Amino acid sequence: MRETKFNLLEIDLSTGEKKTVDMTKEVKKYIGGRGLGAKLLWDRVPEGTDPLSPENILWFGVGPITGFMGSVTNVSALSPLTLLRGQSNMNGLFGVELVYAGYNAGVLLKGKAKQPVYIYIKNDDVEIRDASHLWGRFNPDGQETLRKDLKKDLDDQNFKIASIGPAGEHLVRNASIDHDFYHHAARLGMGTVMGSKNVKAIAVRGTKAPPYPKPALLYHVLLKWLKEDWEEKVGRRRWGHSVSMPERYYKTTEGIKNKQLGWDPICDLSNPLKLEQGAKLWGNACNLCHVGCKTPYLRRNSPLAPTIGELRHDNGGGWNANVMIPGYDVQCYLSTYVDTLGLDSEDVSGVVAWMLECYDRGLVTKEDLGGIELTWGNLEAICQLLKKIAFREGIGDKLAEGLKFAPDLIKGVERKYAMTNKGVAITSYEPRGSMADAIGLVLNPVGELHGGRGHPERITFDSLTTCSFLRRDIPIVFGSLSNWAIPMLEGAAGWKLSEEDWKNLILRASIMERCVSIREGYVPSRDDVLPDRFFSETIFNKYGEPKILNRDKFFEMRKKAYLSFGLNEEGVPSKKTLESLGMEFVIPPLEKKLGAWE
Amino acid sequence: MKGARNSKYIKAIQSKKGWGIENLPFPKGLALVEARWDLCIGCGFCEMACSMYHYGVINRELSRIRVYRYLLPAPKSVQNICCQCSEQERECQKACPLDPPVIHYDDAKFHMVVDEERCLGAKCGKCLKACPAKVPRFYPPDHNVAMVCDLCEKDGVRRPQCVEICPAFALEYMEPQFPQHMQRIHPDEKADVMAERLQPLPRNKAQITPEELFGGKK
Repeated sequence: MRETKFNLLEIDLSTGEKKTVDMTKEVKKYIGGRGLGAKLLWDRVPEGTDPLSPENILWFGVGPITGFMGSVTNVSALSPLTLLRGQSNMNGLFGVELVYAGYNAGVLLKGKAKQPVYIYIKNDDVEIRDASHLWGRFNPDGQETLRKDLKKDLDDQNFKIASIGPAGEHLVRNASIDHDFYHHAARLGMGTVMGSKNVKAIAVRGTKAPPYPKPALLYHVLLKWLKEDWEEKVGRRRWGHSVSMPERYYKTTEGIKNKQLGWDPICDLSNPLKLEQGAKLWGNACNLCHVGCKTPYLRRNSPLAPTIGELRHDNGGGWNANVMIPGYDVQCYLSTYVDTLGLDSEDVSGVVAWMLECYDRGLVTKEDLGGIELTWGNLEAICQLLKKIAFREGIGDKLAEGLKFAPDLIKGVERKYAMTNKGVAITSYEPRGSMADAIGLVLNPVGELHGGRGHPERITFDSLTTCSFLRRDIPIVFGSLSNWAIPMLEGAAGWKLSEEDWKNLILRASIMERCVSIREGYVPSRDDVLPDRFFSETIFNKYGEPKILNRDKFFEMRKKAYLSFGLNEEGVPSKKTLESLGMEFVIPPLEKKLGAWE
Repeated sequence: MKGARNSKYIKAIQSKKGWGIENLPFPKGLALVEARWDLCIGCGFCEMACSMYHYGVINRELSRIRVYRYLLPAPKSVQNICCQCSEQERECQKACPLDPPVIHYDDAKFHMVVDEERCLGAKCGKCLKACPAKVPRFYPPDHNVAMVCDLCEKDGVRRPQCVEICPAFALEYMEPQFPQHMQRIHPDEKADVMAERLQPLPRNKAQITPEELFGGKK
């Protein structure tokens, strides 16, 4: 059977050189997306590279089924926020356009442009263009301006643009990459890396069909999924992901007042039904998804109107009760504001919550903050602080360094109030409500990335570039994950995989990422921990039930999870596993870091 | 590419039952696919079903229905599909330089057809220029002939695949309820219409800025 060839577009921004590289061999081993991104980082970025230096890479990654049942674009680089392996996913159609342009192994940027540029990709036509007129623009404005420039005829409307906002330009360590304003590769400072390369935006349009060997097989799998999954997603179709926040408040798995409380009456103000009935505009879906869980809304008459926005647990969780902002209305305003600035909503809300608590406890003063009266839930003050962070003014310059570095830079503050794991803020989660959540938060070799993202199954979804909201449905419809994935990969890439091959594929993709992080200084048993607060302070839910984490049980569960992921008890892949997966090349650099290990 | 229509794949697809919408009575005479832009979620299932039915490939560029995605700044997609205009309104047919016109209405089958052998391709492109909604598509060099909606007609049976697959019920197959050409709207204009729902926000601004909101107090 014909096997698909995978092409990577490599652009050296320093020299302007562009070339297409055959990646078929690597894709066959690491699938694509997150797994392949880790391999590229291992191969192309030397150990200990400064993430903001030209030696770092920025990979917009896709995989074999992107453009079909995959709509995720994985962005990979060394993270300026954690200094470990960095990656972030965004949905939308950016990756789909890349595949249609013929780059089914993504686009890799290296080096640094001399002045602000944007990258124009239309099929084989790749150009590095001047972006001085876009530099400094806020988010929807920058994309709208660029789209107007690009639009010569109707077909150009479907150019897909990923861009950074002012935060990325000012190298704020948790800046995001924004695509279509409602999809963000926000976490771990991917926008910062893009800013450090002087790239304001990438615009892609492709008109070449992906060369699927068996389109009919793919089509049948998709039809089965569509028909049988439609009813599973009724709620998501209607309310988007705004339903998950109230659900979490009642389970005590959503942070409140920087994790000091287990319940507050303002939680009940986040009512998805009111938001839907009062302000929902329409549904919006990614490529070949029947759900349309992006449900933008518009506020016309609230005191904060007009405000347009989109709400989900990830972008909104931290702007809710965690900073004592009452209800969706105000929260929506804030999360949209953060998006316009180009900051990672989730991470920067953790920084702000930490500052709020420090201010509350008198550790920082109004003078330190440049005259901002930073009290809990003070919208105006939070907006002012956010702007300072995005433009690195006053105290914002220090806060822009993120929770790994900022506590050492500001006089008087305490690190113990920073809710973080490996330097990434924990905002939308409250681990005391659920042990599974607690384990999910820490067991990620890249830092806290929406709880549970370190699980091999999640890494598989990220590597296949399939939306991880399908992970519960696919086993329901197809019986198991492999029943779906194996025919999918056969149809899209022409690979004949056995169950055994598939298991190895999953394991290899998830272990690669861990190896990159270990090489950069991550020690699983040391770093996979939660702040002390979760073990020492009891919180109470709405009905007065106490919630706290048991430290011994936590470590016991962590050990169990390591073993179930195919790692040893220390969270490191054993040499035997590495050899059986054909990954011997990682052993010498890891040995240098870990000493002798089995 | 022509042979694909009779391939076993297409037969397998046709024999598959849809998921409910196929039980609605189909129109017998004059009919068209009506697009509801407000319900369109921009998933692209319709484009895939179209290219799969006609050519047996997954390629949205070979689709006769097109989805255009706008940022208003809320993301909104609108569909664009031929509305089988009435005789006096058929701008594409009038514009075709050949006689008889390559792109024309088949009165027996109740849909537009293209004589693919005679079509001059994208270089001519007069039908595309004439159509106010820019519906006829070309895909040079692989398929350099005009493509318009044929309601998935085969042996006299019309069964639009895009309507059957649309998960958002944003496409309807029905008799014309008003002169068909009134829904022959350029996608940019459709986006403008949808943008009215976002008044008073302009396209490049998502909200009132904090400076405007709190400016007075400072």
